[in-house]
Amino acid sequence: MNIAVPPMEDKKANKLKSTRIAGKLVNDYWEMVWRAKEEGKLICWYEGSAINPFLEAADICWVHGEAYSAMLAARHQEETAQRVAEERGYMRELCSYARTHLGCAVSNQRLRGDNSGATPDDDDLTWKLPAPDMIISAYAYCSTGQQWDEMTSRVFGKKVPIFNVSLPWIWASKPDAGYLRGHEWHETSDYVARQLYDMVKFIEEQTGKPYPWDRLRAMMADIKRASELRLEAMDLCTAQPAPASFFDWVVSIAPINNLPVAGVKDYFETVLAEVKQRVASGEGAVPDEKYRLFFDGIMNWNKVGWLANKFARYDAAVVAGRYTHMAFWQEPDLIDPKNPVLGMAQNYLICPNNHAAPILIELIMGLCRKFQVDGMVIHASRTCRAFTNPQFMIAEAAQRQLGIPSSMFEGDVTDESFYKDELLNSRVEAMLEAIESRRMAVA
Amino acid sequence: MNRHVMGVDFGSTTAKTVILDLSGNIVAHSVAHMGAVSGDGVKQSMKDALEEAGLAQSDMGRVVATGYGRRMLDEADKNYTEITCHARGAVAMVPGARLVIDIGGQDSKVISVDSNGLVAQFAMNDRCAAGTGKFLEVLARAVEIGLEELGDTALQAREKLKISSMCATFAETEVISLLAEGHPKTDVLGAVHAAIAMRTLGLVGRVGKKGPVVMTGGVAKNPAAVHYIQQALEMPLILPKTPQIAGALGAALIGLDDYRAENKHLFISEHEDMAREEQMAADKACIPGCRGVPELAVDPFEKQPPKGKLKSLLGTIQNHI
Repeated sequence: MNIAVPPMEDKKANKLKSTRIAGKLVNDYWEMVWRAKEEGKLICWYEGSAINPFLEAADICWVHGEAYSAMLAARHQEETAQRVAEERGYMRELCSYARTHLGCAVSNQRLRGDNSGATPDDDDLTWKLPAPDMIISAYAYCSTGQQWDEMTSRVFGKKVPIFNVSLPWIWASKPDAGYLRGHEWHETSDYVARQLYDMVKFIEEQTGKPYPWDRLRAMMADIKRASELRLEAMDLCTAQPAPASFFDWVVSIAPINNLPVAGVKDYFETVLAEVKQRVASGEGAVPDEKYRLFFDGIMNWNKVGWLANKFARYDAAVVAGRYTHMAFWQEPDLIDPKNPVLGMAQNYLICPNNHAAPILIELIMGLCRKFQVDGMVIHASRTCRAFTNPQFMIAEAAQRQLGIPSSMFEGDVTDESFYKDELLNSRVEAMLEAIESRRMAVA
Repeated sequence: MNRHVMGVDFGSTTAKTVILDLSGNIVAHSVAHMGAVSGDGVKQSMKDALEEAGLAQSDMGRVVATGYGRRMLDEADKNYTEITCHARGAVAMVPGARLVIDIGGQDSKVISVDSNGLVAQFAMNDRCAAGTGKFLEVLARAVEIGLEELGDTALQAREKLKISSMCATFAETEVISLLAEGHPKTDVLGAVHAAIAMRTLGLVGRVGKKGPVVMTGGVAKNPAAVHYIQQALEMPLILPKTPQIAGALGAALIGLDDYRAENKHLFISEHEDMAREEQMAADKACIPGCRGVPELAVDPFEKQPPKGKLKSLLGTIQNHI
């Protein structure tokens, strides 16, 4: 029985060419953010839910904390911010998104604040974020999220107005409960929508202008369409070989989640066209697809390309994931562009971790079936316990319900020091060997 | 064609080698202690096994490596992970085993095996040396006792103490502090082994508790580790005679499969071999062409075809042939 995992040839992931556009869009967006103060714009810092269309419509510059930390990690420029945060007293076990972003806040105060007397290094992105004029806290499932906003407020001397949107956990304990249904779902949706209307009043107070609802409606029409295009492209990855991978969808998170709305629909139209073309020509996201995997876990932002190539060398197409396929305006049908607030509230609520485990697991098993995966690779993020909490249950369900093996490795969202390459190699190889030996036994 | 295959477990603290003949019998095995993933140690282990078997490296039809250094072994034709090899080796040592607990130098793993002996699920220590041989090694040093005496000393524990840290370094601090409080080494070491057992129990929980359970790896030779793990699991552990060679044995068995598959045309099973022997004996006992059924044979000298039912039966047989 020869079950050897293929030798580590120098294969590379066949990334979607169109996702290069995302890199340019991301750069343009952050350039705009760095200039915003000088251009006299109001700045809002927020974390978690994608409330950015509310802000963009009101001409407020929006700064998403996780997105900035992820961008720094993707550029391998996160260490300074993390060191500064630790110096301030934020320990390494704190969410590294928060730690990196708070390090930026501290740097901003040191180097950009009035009378700082320090000279910032222009190449260091840590200090470049413009200080907030307001903070909106709208975080589902993550207890650190709200505390992070409170910590940011403290860093800026508690002078920045904060608005808090409470996104309740969906317990799903009543008999009528289920995904997008039941009394609790409707009650919770209305509760969050009411708060979003109050948030708009808060925005009006900050801008001193009536809220431009027409602009929000137009933006949400575009986001709804972009989301539909994205989901259509993702669905095409049920093809074998899969035309795009989880890592392509990771790169495409920023466009759907926090970039200016104007370019988003075009971006996903281009991506969809390329995916369709690949399906037609039988071109895969990895050169030789032999295994199909599901990725459970949040992304290691400093390892996106590295991991994409690693799995390509194993001939493993990572075809779907909880992070990419169960978040980021993933239910466009809920959005009514003429009256978008309720649908926005509902999309915030269905952040994948905000459901009771049975719903979460059912959704994940559904994706595994749909994409016909052979195994599951689980990234246990050291500083994001909220994402990691249900992972043993997910692995157990995958084994019991689908008969597929899983392998877990520890890493982190933006702190590279928690990642151990050899442990990932051994675990993934062992899982692929198990898959291979089963195939041979069946044959 | 070569008549032997070799499996090498290039581990973090020891190197193990197993040589099999083509029937899967162990011809020789060796264990060499060494430094961290040491090339010299693994060479020594291979040399020892070859000497014991009276063979040379060139006599090996296939060499398969496993363990942390598996990719570093030039002699290896292929390499496989410890999970696959330990499962294969353990099930070969204890047929019917459904759960394999392997505690080695650098990692501990629990492997659930299905009824076909294939890996169904596995869990490993994820973060540090928690619950591994290294954990024991560090703590043996802290109490100034040899690794070989560790188990027997721990079995003499009377008072239940607790080591809560799973980090070897912090656990060492806890051990030193317990000794400083005047607790005897026996009780402290009992607590160390209980900590390992709890960690192992956690891994078992992740893949599902089921039996029979076989324990492999160097730590299986430690009676206190076995005692505390059995107690925590509330299940007996089956201990192979040479638990530390399970990975190397698994590697050798996989190599044997591979070698057999490649040279299929040269191999015949024992059953086939026996059938051929019997056939040849029968052929010799009768006239040419009778294939062991003389009554059906056509005597070439008589040239008279058989008649009636006999003719029909012969026709059917010939058609089948």
